[in-house]
Amino acid sequence: MEILKAERLVKIYQDNGVPVSALNNINLTVSKGEYVVIAGPSGSGKTTLLNLLGALDKPTEGRIYFEGEDITTKDKNELSKIRLHKLGFIFQAYNLIPVLTAIENIEFSMMLLGISDKERKEKALALMDELGIKELANKRPNEMSGGQQQRVAVARAIVNNPSVVLADEPTANLDSVTAGHLLDLMEQMNSEKNITFIFSSHDKNVIDRAKRLIILKDGRIDN
Amino acid sequence: MLLKLAWRNIWKNKRRSLITLAAVVFAAVMAIAMRGIQLGTYALNIRSVVELFSGYLQIQNKNYLNNPSLSANFSVHNNIINALKTTKGILGYAPRIYADGLISYKDNSRGAAIFGIEPDKEKNVTTFVQNINSGKFFTSDSSNEIVVGEQLLKNLDAKIGDEVVLLAQCYDGTLGNQKFKIVGTVKLGVQELEASLIFMGLKSAQSLLIMGGKVNVIAVKADNLKNLGAIENSLSEKIKNPDLRILTWNKVNPELEQAIQLDNVSGIFFLGILIVIVAFGILNTVLMSVIERFKEFGVVLAIGMPQMNLTYLVYIETLLLTFIGLFIGNVLGAAVNYFLIIHPITFGGELKQLYEIYHFLPQLRSTLEPSIFLNVSLSILTISLLSCLYPAYKVYKLEALKGIRHT
Repeated sequence: MEILKAERLVKIYQDNGVPVSALNNINLTVSKGEYVVIAGPSGSGKTTLLNLLGALDKPTEGRIYFEGEDITTKDKNELSKIRLHKLGFIFQAYNLIPVLTAIENIEFSMMLLGISDKERKEKALALMDELGIKELANKRPNEMSGGQQQRVAVARAIVNNPSVVLADEPTANLDSVTAGHLLDLMEQMNSEKNITFIFSSHDKNVIDRAKRLIILKDGRIDN
Repeated sequence: MLLKLAWRNIWKNKRRSLITLAAVVFAAVMAIAMRGIQLGTYALNIRSVVELFSGYLQIQNKNYLNNPSLSANFSVHNNIINALKTTKGILGYAPRIYADGLISYKDNSRGAAIFGIEPDKEKNVTTFVQNINSGKFFTSDSSNEIVVGEQLLKNLDAKIGDEVVLLAQCYDGTLGNQKFKIVGTVKLGVQELEASLIFMGLKSAQSLLIMGGKVNVIAVKADNLKNLGAIENSLSEKIKNPDLRILTWNKVNPELEQAIQLDNVSGIFFLGILIVIVAFGILNTVLMSVIERFKEFGVVLAIGMPQMNLTYLVYIETLLLTFIGLFIGNVLGAAVNYFLIIHPITFGGELKQLYEIYHFLPQLRSTLEPSIFLNVSLSILTISLLSCLYPAYKVYKLEALKGIRHT
């Protein structure tokens, strides 16, 4: 089942008044449950494409369909709702909310959905248990290692059962062992929960595990 | 969770939050103390002045204020006495007559402002009878004794115990004259008035001026400056005489009210400056705290937090800090004001003499008037919320991606 579709995507940035082409005529379709890695050298447009697919940015030209709906015509608030209900994000620098504990970080997006306090807590604890990070529940980000923070970030991304999780260089700040464990976890979530994962990465560990690899070069798909 | 997040964000950067808090506390304490001293001292001065001579209220013939002459008179009927005795908040009343005349001693003659008064009743209303400068005050029953202004005695080159002749145009147009003995002098601080001031018994004045039982003014003492409106309404209701007017002190003595208003405006202006300075302090710290968290805000926007919730978060943080600051500021401000009520600042030296000339007590005294606390709190709260507008706007316009990329 097709979940994301990009048609003739073009993204041009203005750099001090000079137009810079980041993406050029990208056509892409992602199906439900896929485990996709967008790879390529720095500046190839990986993160730009991920941001467009994640409704964080709008293309200069072209269309993006999410679950059959054109999201390029949506306004800021509508895109915010799509991100909240349908998408999960994992960032390179973890980006947990520093003043909240691990469990509160996981609860945060549920809070935005209006889920009750009790249900939030139960759901977050169950997920933490499943991911093996229950003992981190009351720790704040500055009390956790990078790997632990990224596991919490994964939990935060999947707790609302999103259709797609977008992960931008999720292993870039982790050592290879920790990165391996994290990838195991995401593969497990992909196979057990049928969550679609789209990565942007130039990490060999990530690329090697890709079930589908999209290589970007100079803003174009190269494979 | 938004509240929890706001609370923790405040204490994430303790030093900055404490500085903001200190600014709010400082502004609240300063504003409460300054307004307390201003309003407390105004009330003290008003009481000093109205209790010296004019009274808190006056019942007058309707023409007396604009044309203070014998013709602007009225009879003190029983309904007026009953109204004065039955109206809550009235502590005393004193009828008076006023006439212009001439006072002569040997070869010296001077213009005279003659007041016919009843000292026994004045004692319940005003303080000038007790504040006799030299000699003594006559009694209500005495018929040929007068008290004159200190300056008038000097100008006449007379002394206490001398006999003088008073000449005045009577109510019926004839000229009345009579001998009186000077028994004392008063000093009211206004040299111009003291150069012509003469007090005599009300009955003597009525007899000299052929006024029968009529008077020009009844001065009234109230228990509280705040009750004057209610007393004025109650007296009007009870007396129901279209030829009479009931005037509060500020209408009888508009110069005093204007002087207070002028000082009050300058005080409010200064407070305004203080609050604006604090507003810039709040704007600065809130803006810093917001810009510092653009990356964090970008992440929560990416997760799907509505933009308005993020704006609310900024407001909740500011409100929490402001409320805490106002609570501490109000408690400290109340303590300062209470201290200045118990231990007013008393002047000495030239400043004391200057105050005494105007019959103000040479003191700065405060008050715990609730309106001060309410107005100061609302002003600081409003200015805090206004200071927050720009940082909140920046957050409202923030795009998730720009936030995430912010360094």
